[in-house]
Amino acid sequence: MSKRRSLKIFEYVLTIWIIITLNFLLPRFLPGDPFLLLSSDSPDNEEIVMTQEQQDYYKSYYGLDKSMGEQYATYLNQLLHGDLGYSIYYKVPVSQLIWGRLGWTIFMVISAMVISTGIGVILGSISAWNRDQWSDKMLYFQLILISEIPVFLIGLMILIVFSAWLRLFPLSGAMTHFEDYSSWWEQLGDILSHAFLPIMVLSISQLGGMYLLVRNSMITVLSKDYLRTARAKGLTQQRIVFHHALRNALLPVVTRIFLSLGGLVGGAILVENVFAYPGLGRLMRECIKVQDYQVVQGIFLVVTILVLLANFIADRVYKKLDPRVNDNMKFQEG
Amino acid sequence: MSGEGQCLLELKNFSVEYGGIEPPVKAVDDLNIRLHKNDTLGIIGESGCGKSSMALGVMGLLDNAKVGGEVFYKGQSLQGLSEKEMRKYRWQEIALVFQNSLEVLNPVLTIGEQIGEPIKTHYSESKTAIENRVVDLMGKVGLELKWRQAYPHQLSGGMRQRVLVAMALSCEPELLIVDEPTTALDVLSKNEILKLLHKLQKEQGFAMIIISHDLSVIKKLTSRVAAMYCGRIIEKGLTSEIIKNPLHCYTRGLLNSSPNLFKYKDLWGIEGEAGSGVGTTGCAFYPRCCQHEETCQKDKPALAYVGLEHMVACHKGGIETFLRAVEIRKTHQVKDHKIIAVNDVSIEIKSGEIVALVGESGSGKSTLAQVLAGVWKADSGEAYFQKKKLEGHWATAMMGGMQIVFQDPFSATSHRLKVLDVVKEPLDIMKWGTREERDEAGKKALAAVQLPVTEAFLTRNCQALSGGQRQRLAIARALVTKPKLLIADEVTSMLDPSTQANLLRELKGLQNRHGFAMLYITHDLHLARKVADKVYVMYQGKIVEHGVSGDVFRNPEHVYTKQLLKESFSDLV
Repeated sequence: MSKRRSLKIFEYVLTIWIIITLNFLLPRFLPGDPFLLLSSDSPDNEEIVMTQEQQDYYKSYYGLDKSMGEQYATYLNQLLHGDLGYSIYYKVPVSQLIWGRLGWTIFMVISAMVISTGIGVILGSISAWNRDQWSDKMLYFQLILISEIPVFLIGLMILIVFSAWLRLFPLSGAMTHFEDYSSWWEQLGDILSHAFLPIMVLSISQLGGMYLLVRNSMITVLSKDYLRTARAKGLTQQRIVFHHALRNALLPVVTRIFLSLGGLVGGAILVENVFAYPGLGRLMRECIKVQDYQVVQGIFLVVTILVLLANFIADRVYKKLDPRVNDNMKFQEG
Repeated sequence: MSGEGQCLLELKNFSVEYGGIEPPVKAVDDLNIRLHKNDTLGIIGESGCGKSSMALGVMGLLDNAKVGGEVFYKGQSLQGLSEKEMRKYRWQEIALVFQNSLEVLNPVLTIGEQIGEPIKTHYSESKTAIENRVVDLMGKVGLELKWRQAYPHQLSGGMRQRVLVAMALSCEPELLIVDEPTTALDVLSKNEILKLLHKLQKEQGFAMIIISHDLSVIKKLTSRVAAMYCGRIIEKGLTSEIIKNPLHCYTRGLLNSSPNLFKYKDLWGIEGEAGSGVGTTGCAFYPRCCQHEETCQKDKPALAYVGLEHMVACHKGGIETFLRAVEIRKTHQVKDHKIIAVNDVSIEIKSGEIVALVGESGSGKSTLAQVLAGVWKADSGEAYFQKKKLEGHWATAMMGGMQIVFQDPFSATSHRLKVLDVVKEPLDIMKWGTREERDEAGKKALAAVQLPVTEAFLTRNCQALSGGQRQRLAIARALVTKPKLLIADEVTSMLDPSTQANLLRELKGLQNRHGFAMLYITHDLHLARKVADKVYVMYQGKIVEHGVSGDVFRNPEHVYTKQLLKESFSDLV
């Protein structure tokens, strides 16, 4: 057991190290130079070209004139101290920048996850119970259709209909700018009304997959012998469904929830840009545009570590739910 | 037994039909069962004969099937009850020990929970009461308590079976249906489970239906048994009686395929595949039956009494008796004194049976054979072939009659005749068919005994054949008339062991396919033990002991038999 666990931890550490290294290398292979755009908002504007002297000064100031090995060592050292570097463009520490935006993305992703899972489980179960009846066929057709539409397209359509046309929700942002809230619930209401559409879009993008998984998993479980056993035992319908069937059917769903986090973050980047939502995705796009790779690196790192963390949690949760995964014979006596 | 009183479980014209597939499969058809308190009923049959469908049908657990007929439990009809009403009967009244598999228990719930769960649902007892009950149940079925927190996949097959039993007994049902309790278990676990079920049944007095294709299980646990084929009961009666004397070809086939019933006998399965039971108007067993006739296809046979508490569904009233000889006596006159070679011998041979007639040389075996075959006339007594009295040679001079193969092939086949002429001689005498047909039949018979059918061999003189070949030729000549009964008098004694083995397997195979009966006369008990279904032991012209071969060889009763067996089996190499 302890051997397996330490192996597992070693795996995680190794993965993080590889990611950090890639993260260090990748931006340095990108063409272009952050100092070219240091003082202009966009490449189309007139550029202020720095002299060679100025460039060298900045390079040595940011340590970019040193050898790759030295830079790598510094990078690792900084990371160990929780220092993700300094944004050349925004001129604030990267960690501070990310920290400010992270909350919005996590809020959106987790909400979308909860909503898509909840609705997916309900619809998937309904479909499985009524397999091959009209309700199942309708649900199946509609959800397959929705899941085939790219997320940014859904985003745009919803934005046009609900915000531009019906004016039910604000067009962009996470909060109304320069608003003075008289109470905390007013502020909450404002946040929710801004978040509603992005979360809805993100949920819809995940819903199809979740629905299909639950439906499949439920259908498989419903045909299992142990459900017949449960019926033979004269258990109540409720107990059969919730205790015997759903518990088994949800096993793959749990894995899916955590593993889909990566996809959700990817989706979030698109959605945030459509809705101009101030999350990590939007920050990333802005920083790539101006080649502020300290920030991009930071975002990559934070997102990867979050996804890894989710994987780790999925592992633990799954072990709790499915005794077969924990294959060592260990039970309390008595 | 409550005798006249109310049945615990009664099935009337019970049927189960799976309609989802084309053509629909009738898994259970017109089933009638009555079960009283304390009864133990075994249900045997090959896989797919509808045993499990019946169990699930009674419990109302078949969703995708049409269940017909009526099910009465304590006089109350269970048919058409809603799922909610049905729940009252499930587990509290009728519980099922499911066929053992990993899937049958919920993989994410502990054993303890799964055993205790029904008690919680049906009796809503306190948590501690349920726990005590679970501990109690686990003790009863011999499961260590530490397994309570274990999950199904952590248990061995035998332990899982115990869990299934404990689970089934949790609400103290009055009827326990046990589906294949021992498949996939090793011998030790199997015996333990059997002992356990036997003990629990005795202690708690629940009625039990055991579904199994393992006859040793049925033999140990049940007092009555029903054999099922294509969803219908084709034979039922007392277990001990049916195992000793099955009267349906199918039941006998099942017994013959069971390795644990007769220690020494070879195994012979039932030829062919079971049909779906749909679309056949006649007897479902018709294509596989070794004594079928055209008329069997007309309608389905109903169960009819053939003995006390013994019923068979067969148009011919069960396995036919081919030969019945009553008190045959034959005396040889040697100069002045008479020798009673056959002394009031009665013998019975049924269709598809090998009856071994054993005894030392000079005990009168061959004489009896020759009397039966009509070579000699009996001094007294009568013999019947298919219920018709044997007189003259009618039985040996017909197709599908009776044939005898003699001990000595050299005097039995004329050495001047050609091989083909010898083989088809009986046909020529009967003037059967055309010349070509007779030639063809002759060749087939030769092939059946593994003799060549080349032109060179067919035209060879018998003189030029070896002893083994001539013996096989003699057998081929007997088989050419497709006899129902073959009397084989020491046919293999002159053969080397390898030829003997080949020939015997060949005969047994033919017999298994075509169902002819054989009176196999031998002094070689090793052989008799291998092939015989029934044994007659002859000593000084009298039958001193007879019975099912397994019984006679295991527990001989007569002094002479004991002596004979002892002498014979002392020379095992």
